[in-house]
Amino acid sequence: MNLIDMPFREKTAWAMSVILTLGAFYYFEDVVSVSRALGHTAPPIVAFVIAYVVFIAVTSAIVMSILGGTAGKEADAPADERERRIMDKAGNWSGYVLAAPAIGALFHYANYGDGNMLFHIVFLGLMLSQIAEYVFQIILYRRGG
Amino acid sequence: MAKPPPIGNRIRELREQHGNMSQAALAEAIGVTRQTVIAIELGKYSPSLESAFRISRVFGVGVEDVFSWE
Repeated sequence: MNLIDMPFREKTAWAMSVILTLGAFYYFEDVVSVSRALGHTAPPIVAFVIAYVVFIAVTSAIVMSILGGTAGKEADAPADERERRIMDKAGNWSGYVLAAPAIGALFHYANYGDGNMLFHIVFLGLMLSQIAEYVFQIILYRRGG
Repeated sequence: MAKPPPIGNRIRELREQHGNMSQAALAEAIGVTRQTVIAIELGKYSPSLESAFRISRVFGVGVEDVFSWE
């Protein structure tokens, strides 16, 4: 399937998965560098979280407006039955991606009592589940539904 | 790769019989995207009962004339 034939929602899923992956990469690059400088796990840094959220919001708004502008009326059309099913399935599966690190973080906290690490792992889980949701959507669009 | 549903269809053949109706025109008529019509035609997606009836009405035939259990 070429880019022209690709459904609008699959294009947005590709765009959002790339944007979220970049955001997660930059966020954790900062967290790791601060942790190295401190010699222990960095505490939750609100400025990094705000920077991450602003990056995602601004980048996705720009990319979505470009995609929406090129998609014409397809961008305004509500999701059809197959697309709704794809979004439901992807949303359901991504819940497991969130649950796995959350459970891991709880066990880590129970063993080591490191609340900072608990925060970072859960935040990573949130990022991964969002990325996974879009990746699952892409896979389901490719499979047919 | 998921196993395709065991449901066959004659949508392509019926489109050709109806003045080479395009996939986009059929999609518009039944209220889905063209990609969904492609997925149904290729047997990758089983439409809802409502869409199956809408498709059969567009072609003026019964549902069983469009879809079959393989």
